[in-house]
Amino acid sequence: MKLLHKLARASVGLSLPALLILLAVFGVPIILLFLMSLNAPEFSLVNYKAFFASNANVRVLIQTIQMSLVATALCLVIGYPTAYLIAAASKRTRTVLLVLVIIPYLTSLLVRTYAWIVILGDRGMLNSLLMEFGFISSPLPLIYNRIAVYIGMVHIMLPVMILPLVSVMLGIDRSLMAAARSMGAQPLSAFWRVFVPLSLPGVRSGSLLVFVLCLGFYITPSALGGLRDAMLSTFIAAQVAAAFNLAQTAATAFVLLAVAVVMLAIFGLDLAGAHGGAVQPARKASWRARLSLSALVAPLREIAISWRGKRWPTRLYRAASERSWGTKVGAVFAVLVMFFLLFPSVVVIIMSFSDGPTLTFPPKALSLQWYRSFFEDPSWNRAAWTSVRIAIAVAVLSTVVGTLAAYGLSRTFPKLRSGLTMVILSPITFPSIVVGIAAYLGLVKFGLIGTETGIMLTHSLGAIAYVVVIVSATLANFDRRLELAAKSMRAGPFRTFQRVTLPLIMPGVIGGAVFAFLHSFDEVVKSSLVAGLSVRTLPLKMWENMRNEIDPTIAAVASLLILLPMLWLLVLYISWWRSRMRGQGSGSMAPAAA
Amino acid sequence: MPLAITIEKQDIILPRSHTTPTGPTAIGNVHATPGMGADTPQIEFRNVTKLYGSVAAVKDISLTVRRGEFLTILGPSGSGKTTTLMLLAGFEAPNEGEIFIGGRSVAAVPSYRRDQGIVFQSYALFPHLSVRRNLEFPLEMRGVGAAERKTKVDRILSRVRLNEFGERLPKQLSGGQQQRVALARALIADPPILLLDEPLGALDRNLREQMQIEIKNLHKEFGITTVCVTHDQDEALTLSDRIVVMREGRIEQIDTPEALYDRPASRFVANFLGEANILEGADFEVESGASAPSGTVAMIRPERILVAAPTAPPRADAAQRQSVTGTVRDMIYAGPLRKYHVHSGSATLVVREHVASGQEVFHPGDTVRLNWLRSDVRFVTP
Repeated sequence: MKLLHKLARASVGLSLPALLILLAVFGVPIILLFLMSLNAPEFSLVNYKAFFASNANVRVLIQTIQMSLVATALCLVIGYPTAYLIAAASKRTRTVLLVLVIIPYLTSLLVRTYAWIVILGDRGMLNSLLMEFGFISSPLPLIYNRIAVYIGMVHIMLPVMILPLVSVMLGIDRSLMAAARSMGAQPLSAFWRVFVPLSLPGVRSGSLLVFVLCLGFYITPSALGGLRDAMLSTFIAAQVAAAFNLAQTAATAFVLLAVAVVMLAIFGLDLAGAHGGAVQPARKASWRARLSLSALVAPLREIAISWRGKRWPTRLYRAASERSWGTKVGAVFAVLVMFFLLFPSVVVIIMSFSDGPTLTFPPKALSLQWYRSFFEDPSWNRAAWTSVRIAIAVAVLSTVVGTLAAYGLSRTFPKLRSGLTMVILSPITFPSIVVGIAAYLGLVKFGLIGTETGIMLTHSLGAIAYVVVIVSATLANFDRRLELAAKSMRAGPFRTFQRVTLPLIMPGVIGGAVFAFLHSFDEVVKSSLVAGLSVRTLPLKMWENMRNEIDPTIAAVASLLILLPMLWLLVLYISWWRSRMRGQGSGSMAPAAA
Repeated sequence: MPLAITIEKQDIILPRSHTTPTGPTAIGNVHATPGMGADTPQIEFRNVTKLYGSVAAVKDISLTVRRGEFLTILGPSGSGKTTTLMLLAGFEAPNEGEIFIGGRSVAAVPSYRRDQGIVFQSYALFPHLSVRRNLEFPLEMRGVGAAERKTKVDRILSRVRLNEFGERLPKQLSGGQQQRVALARALIADPPILLLDEPLGALDRNLREQMQIEIKNLHKEFGITTVCVTHDQDEALTLSDRIVVMREGRIEQIDTPEALYDRPASRFVANFLGEANILEGADFEVESGASAPSGTVAMIRPERILVAAPTAPPRADAAQRQSVTGTVRDMIYAGPLRKYHVHSGSATLVVREHVASGQEVFHPGDTVRLNWLRSDVRFVTP
């Protein structure tokens, strides 16, 4: 017993480095920030009162929630059928569609936002095409309004909605639908009564993720929206930029955080199977909600049943044509969604070859001038190298620290595990502007503001979280008896990890490293807070450019960044493929073991 | 080359002791489908072929199922038995040929208008619905009112001894209980046809035997025409009125369990249902004197062979017997049975005898004399 306790404690120890970084750069500062917002040491609600006293603030808060809800609803409405089509497709089609969804998911958020500026802008693709063909004489106001913000938000969030939905839908046993049909359920009622209820966990986690991420949206609304479309993050950033009244800003940040936490607590976040303590009461609440909902639906159902009763004998053994238009509509819909997800990137790539002093669509002639300007301009060069340096450091640090943490967590008690997982994941579940302000505060204490180390540590917060999520998921499928087998052959714990565990979870580790790299390489919000004036990362430079009316060089940069995720997908595919090839020997043994 | 199949007339149609409620709400009582004579087969396959791409999963099969009959489709995996069931269920459409249910062609009838009960291999119980709601589902789809649904569910729950489990979710039940719910759900709406897809595959041995009895009883009680797919020969022999043996998409033989076991038409059927010793090669022709009709080989079941010491006195019926001498290679003791592998010439014969008191036991290396009745030898196509 004692030994067991010791072992368990030792394995938790593996997550210490991750927790240390988290605590120093984020944990302690956010507590300080909270105290500050409460006007410590006097303790009063002055700052919160001030926040809610201002109509403008309250309007922005409500607007933030409202915009997030609308964006989430739109994502669900578009994402659910898309996910259904992906899950229902043949294996090959499914793989292709998933890759098409994952590419934009991995593409830089900044680039995707920029793409919409290029498409919707006054001299953008749509307006110039319309003017070219003489439909309009002056540009339509397509950008800097609410619609543009929604288009951008939905475009960016759609993959976040689709991926969890697909994973849940793929887990639904197809024979259940067949069973429903064999019991007399028409395709639509089989779908409605069986498939939809079973896909609800995916709807829940997808919607929750999208909503919480939308709450913290900063780049997209401020790039595509007008002054009246500010969200709370934009507002906080402005507060920070204008005058650093930290107590006020802290209060605003915690209001934003509170909305996110309330949503998470009500609906419960289930990331990588980590059931948080907060989830239990939430389950009951949603259960109750469902009960009342079913009480509402029950009478309706009885009406439908009596109607079916009249229909059943007359329809029995009647022929029905397979509705082929259904699949056609589905195919068209899937193509449209994929077009929506992918064409902005394509437009950017095409326009990046424009000649002439501005970007045009279609380009009159092709030229590499913007690529030349990117590679020749030392400020772009320097920014790019800074970003690469930081991203590599982040990838190395967070992969090592995150893998250790995930491994340690997987070997400890479930309660401790879920608690610590929640803590480690907080940098990606909290709105990034809140994380940024906390990190700023933390780095000030270490004197690391405006240093590459500081930026690297800040990026590592989120990167570690991604590594932990991905490696944990891989470890969940790892057969622990293999470790016992290694130990029975006199391999020590370290050797066992090195020779057995690590090679087998390698695809997860590499996946984590890729995510860590991309997270760092794309990060703007937090960087803008902690970079000071001396360090310019590539995203920061791009962001500056986007805001201060456009140096077309950015199109070339964006095109290069679009190619990056495809490169990474290739890396992931190769690592997965290699592990599968290697796994084939042991694969034949697996059934025998089971 | 499809084999000639003799379908024996079986006059006994199982009595329907289960009564469906009568009255205006009685729905699903369509056993006597209108326009269907008493001797119309309930199910008929006429030259049905199903292709997947260019591969034929089912090739030109024809068969009939009588009303109230329990027919089992038996075959190794890939023999097309599941495809046959899927065609009948309406989940797949045949490329050629026609399927008739109650005398009507059901080519274009989707599964949800076929009024069948299906028990799936994985049971396919809806995981999000309680046992009660699972059982109500087929009734709801047929438009049965709430009060009648409750009565029917209560009745069938007590019939499968699950009264207290109505509010549980399927995952809170044991495998055997889930199996019973699946059966109950398939039967509750009183469909004229019940399809079973490897119904007992997921259960352990003891439970499987119990469930075989349960299924047999339910079949008798409901008198429902049943088509069952399995690869388990015991299951097929125990449950069925007739068995269809399938091989590579074709029907190899259709017959009653006894006839099939006792008079297999082919070596494949003989081997698939039980164990078979094929008596071929010069060794046997010389010693046993058995001459097989052309195009067939001689076969004898292991339990028909007697094993004795070479010095043992000849039996009274020795004149009707053939015998060979061989060497025991293995003796396997399996509870009530003892199995010998006996080398004779270039062949190995399997002999199975019931353990009895006073029996002589042979060991590897012993020389023994095997003998069997000439009338027990069967001739099968190779």
